[in-house]
Amino acid sequence: MVRWQRGLWLFFLPSFGLLAVVLLWPLGYAIYLSFFDYYLGSDVRSFVGLGNYADLLTEGRLWNSMWTTILIAFGSVALEFIVGFALALALYRLHQSAKVFSVLLFLPHIVTPVVAALFLKWMLASNWGFIDATLLTFDIVPPDWLGDPIWAKISVILADAWVFTPLVMMVLYAALQGLDTSVVEAAQIDGANNWRVLRHIIVPALIPAIIFTISVRLMDVFRFFDIIYVLTGGGPGTATETITIYTYQLGFRMLEVGKASALGVITLIVVASLLLTINRVLNSIYRGGDQ
Amino acid sequence: MASLTIQHATKSFGGLEVLHGVDIQIADGEFVVLVGPSGCGKSTLLRLIAGLEDITQGEILIGDREVSHLHPKDRDIAMVFQSYALYPHMTVEENMGFSLRMRDVNLSERKDKVRASAEILGLTNLLGRYPRQLSGGQRQRVAMGRAIVRDPKVFLFDEPLSNLDAKLRVQMRSEIRELHKKLGTTIVYVTHDQIEAMTMADTIVVMRDGYVEQIGSPLDLYDRPANIFVGSFIGSPAMNMLEGRIGGDRQSFVSNRGTQIAFGAPVSPEADRKVILGIRPEDIGVSETGTPAMVRQVEPTGADLHVNLDLDGDGFTALFHERLPLEEGQNMGLKVLADQAHFFDPDSGKRIE
Amino acid sequence: MSVASIQRKRRRETYLVFIALCAFTFVNLMPLIWAVLTSLKDPKDAFTIPPTIIFEPTLKYHWEVWFENDFVRYLKNSLIISAGTVCISIPAGSLAAYALSRIPRRNAGPILSALFTIRMFPHMLLAIPFFVMGTFLDLIDSYLLLILALVAINQPFTIWLMHGFFLEIPRDLDEAAAIDGCSSWQAFRIVILPLARPGMTVAALFSLLLSYNEFLFALVLTGTNTKTLPVAIASFGGEDITAWSLSAAGAIGIMLPIVLVMLALQRHLVRGLTAGAVKG
Repeated sequence: MVRWQRGLWLFFLPSFGLLAVVLLWPLGYAIYLSFFDYYLGSDVRSFVGLGNYADLLTEGRLWNSMWTTILIAFGSVALEFIVGFALALALYRLHQSAKVFSVLLFLPHIVTPVVAALFLKWMLASNWGFIDATLLTFDIVPPDWLGDPIWAKISVILADAWVFTPLVMMVLYAALQGLDTSVVEAAQIDGANNWRVLRHIIVPALIPAIIFTISVRLMDVFRFFDIIYVLTGGGPGTATETITIYTYQLGFRMLEVGKASALGVITLIVVASLLLTINRVLNSIYRGGDQ
Repeated sequence: MASLTIQHATKSFGGLEVLHGVDIQIADGEFVVLVGPSGCGKSTLLRLIAGLEDITQGEILIGDREVSHLHPKDRDIAMVFQSYALYPHMTVEENMGFSLRMRDVNLSERKDKVRASAEILGLTNLLGRYPRQLSGGQRQRVAMGRAIVRDPKVFLFDEPLSNLDAKLRVQMRSEIRELHKKLGTTIVYVTHDQIEAMTMADTIVVMRDGYVEQIGSPLDLYDRPANIFVGSFIGSPAMNMLEGRIGGDRQSFVSNRGTQIAFGAPVSPEADRKVILGIRPEDIGVSETGTPAMVRQVEPTGADLHVNLDLDGDGFTALFHERLPLEEGQNMGLKVLADQAHFFDPDSGKRIE
Repeated sequence: MSVASIQRKRRRETYLVFIALCAFTFVNLMPLIWAVLTSLKDPKDAFTIPPTIIFEPTLKYHWEVWFENDFVRYLKNSLIISAGTVCISIPAGSLAAYALSRIPRRNAGPILSALFTIRMFPHMLLAIPFFVMGTFLDLIDSYLLLILALVAINQPFTIWLMHGFFLEIPRDLDEAAAIDGCSSWQAFRIVILPLARPGMTVAALFSLLLSYNEFLFALVLTGTNTKTLPVAIASFGGEDITAWSLSAAGAIGIMLPIVLVMLALQRHLVRGLTAGAVKG
């Protein structure tokens, strides 16, 4: 670094000092705790090595929550991506009125997640919720949206999609606006139909944005907490219990902080490897498309 | 005011050396232009002098003081940037007074100095404006005002005119000359435009690939280019180059394609020596008995006549100041005087004296 | 096909897209509309089959939730915590972001990737140690602990976002400032900072929003004294169905300021959301 700018390293101190204290230290502490059998409130904590990890990995509840997480993750991300992409294309097509629509469509995303979850809860609540009240008017007996194990999962996926589709839409719409319109027009003049323009021109140009949205969404979905917490609390039973909800139950309800930390570490490893894989796969597709 | 000495200045970025031990001695009050194609290291050298880049090896002295490793603010230099780099949120007055403010000059003295500089540059009416409210030429002048207000030892100019249109550039060229005359401060000026260099400099430093090719006054460089590169870089249109050998009589030249050019007097290289002949387009004359050439293209510019010629397959450019009645496709005879022919060694590229 | 017929076809398609988008938007906003309606209903209108659309609206519950149910106090907590987070996160973050935008790329690259990696940490993994340490230090239910936690999850994003803004300020200005006599700190404070103000405002609003909306840390680190709005509304409106109108009023009230901030931020929205996109 150039001599006269060396003082700039000092500029990192406040921020990185802060991060060390409030992020790295707690993180290290969590990893440390994960090796202990430690019930918060009791005075004893005994070192168990990888015991917590072994317990967790051999118990059904972890795997159940893992599958639930994966189901919800892929279900909602797929839904968000398809609907979000369609919406982005529709906005791109409209030009003039797109601005009004984009604001209206974006509203669900900016609402406080807890509040959004409540809005949905009042839609889905049995009997008096909007959907049930409407269906019952026509004498259709609705399913128990939040009480039936399968419907509860679907409801959670829909809720996630309701909140995050606007994000996917916005990012893809922004990427579309960055497209060189002359290329699209040239293809249309050459007689390519909409589908071909989409497949051969628009999608390849959007690959970086697509990689970005999908990885960010998958990463977020593993942190997905507030909406499930409010909507189903993980229930009925453990039907919608994701890893995050399970960790919450372990750590803050049962106060098994050692075991909960171990679960947190496992989550981190899963998320990291998942993201690495996705990035690698999508990147190789991206490069393949280039040639 | 002070002299500027650059001794064996070397600069590497990572493993890549971009300046290879440059030596330049600049006298007090001299206007020096560093010129060369892009990537030749001229801007890097300027930034070394300013202290914006660290020198890898060598020394820089301003006056008698070594400044090689000082912070830019401690070198007592001022710089005019290509982008002007005016502070957008400060008025012209604040921009010009900023360096004084940073040196704790009190407000009234600051005001006086800014006003004096503004007067020199005709900026008095613009002092309350912001940079975005100024035209390109005005911004350029503010950038100079910011430099002169502090009365530094050396001014550094980094391609200051390249963002202006052609007409304004010519005007600013003479304004900067004028300013230099008035202030007498040492100036190091970087440009890639050889005309700018020729018209402004006391001394030109021609650089290429991190080496100094030649240092000299503009006419020196024009009359006696030290090598092929300087010969073809200085002057427009560029010098014609022909490869061949000197005739047995030392009064002529034969190109590899067999074209004969007679000089009418002995030239400096010995007989039969392999050389590269350089002739400036404006040094070519017309003679019925001279070297035959075919007119390929005639481009009148009004003042001059720009003619592309064909010498047995070699392209050649001539510049005539009179309006000759030339037609494309016609044949004509050329004449070159012995003292207007430049000879270079084909292997080293160096001038043959 | 003639040009005219292609244009006619395109126009017809665009028209269909418009109709479909209108329909989708309406259905999509239904939960929001329903909540607004509920918040204005008396219980006799709230619990009906079919759902009541036309009724005599009342603002009674909006008044009640804020002034008879402590929501004003929760709002105060939310504001203190959000403001505290911004006041720590933005100054520290802007220094780092500026330095990051000025150091050589080969040094900045790894730091940026590290920050990006930190963003993907599961929050739960951070919530546990914060909870345990908070318990030991007797900091549970204090503003400070929650603020620090929010800074931790905020800081990488803040740096990312502001780094982009600083990159847009030409380096020539730093160099001109250095020659004019500024140290790095002076150049930052006097020359760069005033120019970065719009970007910092955006970053501040984003981090304000993030802290205001945050639920997990607020849930586990606050108690009766420092409870924030999201925690309050979750415990309030979640279970008791008879309090529907009341909790709907609370929920709408929590949402309104954000909608306003977001409308103001609209221009920068996408930029903030995509900060951290590896490409573009």
